Amino acid sequence: MSKKPKAAIFDFAGCEGDELQIANLEEQLLDLLNIVEVVSFREVMTEHSDDYDIAFIEGSVTRDHDAERLKRIRDNADIVVAIGACATIGGINSIRNTQDHEEVKQRVYGDKGDMFESWDKAKAVDAVIDVDYKVHGCPIDRDEFLHVVKSLVMGKEPNIPDYPVCVECKLNENVCAFERDEFCVGPVTRAGCDACCVNEGTICWGCRGLIDNPNEDAHMEVLEEYGLTPEEVMKKFSLYFNWQEEAREDE
Amino acid sequence: MKIIDKEDLDSFVADMIEKGEKEVVGVQEKGHKYAFQELKRAEDLRLDYDVTMLPPKKYFMPQREDLLEYEKDEDLSLEGVNEVVPRIIIGIHPYDLIAIEQMDRVFSDTYEDEHYLKKRKESVLIGVNMQEVSEWSFAASMGTATTDYGYDLMLTDLGDRYAIEIGSSKGSDLLERYCVDLKEAKSEDIESVEREKEKIKESFEKEFEFSPESLPWLMEQGYEKKEFWEEHAEDCYSCGSCNLVCPTCYCFDVQDISDLSLGGGKRTRKWDGCLLESFAVVASGENFREERSERYRHRYMRKGKYLYDMFGDIACVGCGRCSSHCVPDIADPTVVFNELMEEVR
Amino acid sequence: MSAEESIYLPETATIVDTKEMTEREKLFEVELDSGEELGHEPGQFVELSIPGIGEAPISVSSAPTKEGHTFELCVRAVGNVTNALHRKEKGDKIGIRGPYGTSFPVEELEGRNLLFIAGGLGIAPLRSLINYVIDKREDFQDVNILYGCRKPCELLYEDEVEDWRTNDELDYRETVDECPDDVCWEGNVGVITTLIPGVDIDVENTYSVVCGPPIMYKFVLQELEEKELPAEQIYLSMERRMKCGVGKCGHCQINGEEGEYYACQDGPVFNYADVQGFEEAI
Repeated sequence: MSKKPKAAIFDFAGCEGDELQIANLEEQLLDLLNIVEVVSFREVMTEHSDDYDIAFIEGSVTRDHDAERLKRIRDNADIVVAIGACATIGGINSIRNTQDHEEVKQRVYGDKGDMFESWDKAKAVDAVIDVDYKVHGCPIDRDEFLHVVKSLVMGKEPNIPDYPVCVECKLNENVCAFERDEFCVGPVTRAGCDACCVNEGTICWGCRGLIDNPNEDAHMEVLEEYGLTPEEVMKKFSLYFNWQEEAREDE
Repeated sequence: MKIIDKEDLDSFVADMIEKGEKEVVGVQEKGHKYAFQELKRAEDLRLDYDVTMLPPKKYFMPQREDLLEYEKDEDLSLEGVNEVVPRIIIGIHPYDLIAIEQMDRVFSDTYEDEHYLKKRKESVLIGVNMQEVSEWSFAASMGTATTDYGYDLMLTDLGDRYAIEIGSSKGSDLLERYCVDLKEAKSEDIESVEREKEKIKESFEKEFEFSPESLPWLMEQGYEKKEFWEEHAEDCYSCGSCNLVCPTCYCFDVQDISDLSLGGGKRTRKWDGCLLESFAVVASGENFREERSERYRHRYMRKGKYLYDMFGDIACVGCGRCSSHCVPDIADPTVVFNELMEEVR
Repeated sequence: MSAEESIYLPETATIVDTKEMTEREKLFEVELDSGEELGHEPGQFVELSIPGIGEAPISVSSAPTKEGHTFELCVRAVGNVTNALHRKEKGDKIGIRGPYGTSFPVEELEGRNLLFIAGGLGIAPLRSLINYVIDKREDFQDVNILYGCRKPCELLYEDEVEDWRTNDELDYRETVDECPDDVCWEGNVGVITTLIPGVDIDVENTYSVVCGPPIMYKFVLQELEEKELPAEQIYLSMERRMKCGVGKCGHCQINGEEGEYYACQDGPVFNYADVQGFEEAI
């Protein structure tokens, strides 16, 4: 990688919360700009250039126009990094993937639904183009984002955990959600967030997506044993995992 | 043996906190569980706890720990880092004291790991005999429900007072330095302590159906029982919880963390677990323990045989943390080992 | 903290020369900044640090008998550390810990026939012993070297191999798994085991030293067993994830029914009789 690579940040279907995380790096943002040159970042700057080495992509892909735009970005960039759950795993947008598309449109747009082009399923970025790296989370963790940028500039594979959130809960000596009579999907969800939600006394909702080799069958059984109905279990799994489940079925 | 009134023990603890010569750590409530945490007030100390979530090992081998710092300009400079906080740790149960003894051996074997050993040397360990027994614990089976070694001081609750056994000069120094009102124990006190210890040994619901001395033999016999391990590991999340809460697990991963300037940074170690999928992956990508059942078996082999072969200790002290933290409930050593014994017989 | 106080603290070292060997492998000549010799035995490894990237175990590929106080590492760019090392140039600084692990039992091998079997990068650790043997040739009997790699372009130590080919005191044989049509190759084509039947093994007096990719061992050992070479006379160099190098981190453990080894302490050089039947070894 050149001494100071050029980076661009693009958004698709999403809330821009991940871009906000980057914009909110505060004093670290200046240090970051010492190691990368940002040439496009719609949320915080007016300039734009198509000459970049690394493209960061936020948001999921929901229409043909998105797909075409992504392909152009892929052609321009050496490295493509998906940032945030919508881009890495389809995110919240993919809740609708298991619902009736017409009903969904009706619910959101009322009788104006036909004016909006949208696929019946929201997809992660790697459904459309090759993605080199993923910064998971809803929103992304700032330190992990910085870790990925530093790694890319140094020519190192970023270290993205492929173990469940339980690891971080144990390191932080959290009381397990299951011991509090709550239910969480931490045991099948990729760590790297430092179990931030459970640290605060709540549960893991799975925003970083399934680990590569989750034991879902076991976890669904366990959730039912702990008293959830199969519908409640499915709900737990469909908040963030719909797109990953579909992609795995297609394989 | 000495005797101290409960009120005086409180002031002993309060005095240590107030003087602040060493950080005072004690068992406290966390959620509806217990944890070793820095003690700010003597009254927060809970000597009647059943088991803490993490063992006190975290004070000698922290979850995350810097090993060195580096600086790169023209030259490369490397400097070892060892952040040692001298501590007085109050309320360690016998099984954890025995686990610490085992870790002392691990970290001083052949290559001495000063990151661990220095922190360990600078700490004073105050044990306490169990007043509550965790439903998951089987310490009596492992011979770790009580201990005659591994502590600087050892407390036993005798109703309105505590008996104090002195295990080392570190312990007696501590009593001299801080304590107000100590009495010599009478022969009936000594008998009471012995009775308490006998009572504790009888309080465990979970137990081994055989002597733990047979474990190395059992594990050798059981290693090839593929179906047994596959069946038991079927619901394993590979989440490493059993590793991470274990007082005798000590495997770690090492990562470099660069400053944002990319000119310097540090090398840190973090607790790792052999149940995690990538634990035995080598640089070429090959995974030498790819199956859940292989990793699951590996952990029991370590506890029952491998570490015994290396250090002479059965590396399970019966605290029951692994089973109590296992969401799918497949990590109870009494179940696994007893069933394996059935299988082998 | 000094190196005496932290077993994880590397000493600084300088890359004094680099040599491109193939597309994937480079040879690095390294000098400790202390000016001291590394003091290794053939078969041992070092932990090589590139601060900011990490640390990786690398076999020392030069013989202790090599002139000068530098040592050599033959490194395939395969992970974070090794890729970063490949970007390093002459004069750049790295960190070194070690040497660690067991070595080839030179004394036991003296006066014996030696059969070296190397697959791919496996030649790197073996070379430390091969060159030692060549330097002390009169201490050993017949020396056979079998060396195989996937394609002719992956052959390492070309210059030295050329010396081995023409050295009357060695019997050197080579093979490639496959040879592209447009490449001139006069050696054998086929996996390394196809070379073994052609070697005359005196089972009473021959020791074999084997190193290669994990998949290779099983087949090579089968062939050697067919030749009735006793397991006690076979030495293997096996790598695992030797992360700390000092028997602490737990990553390089190799298990079997009868017991366990730490590759960084009990290895990387093992006698085959000791690991035979170890499920995770072969």
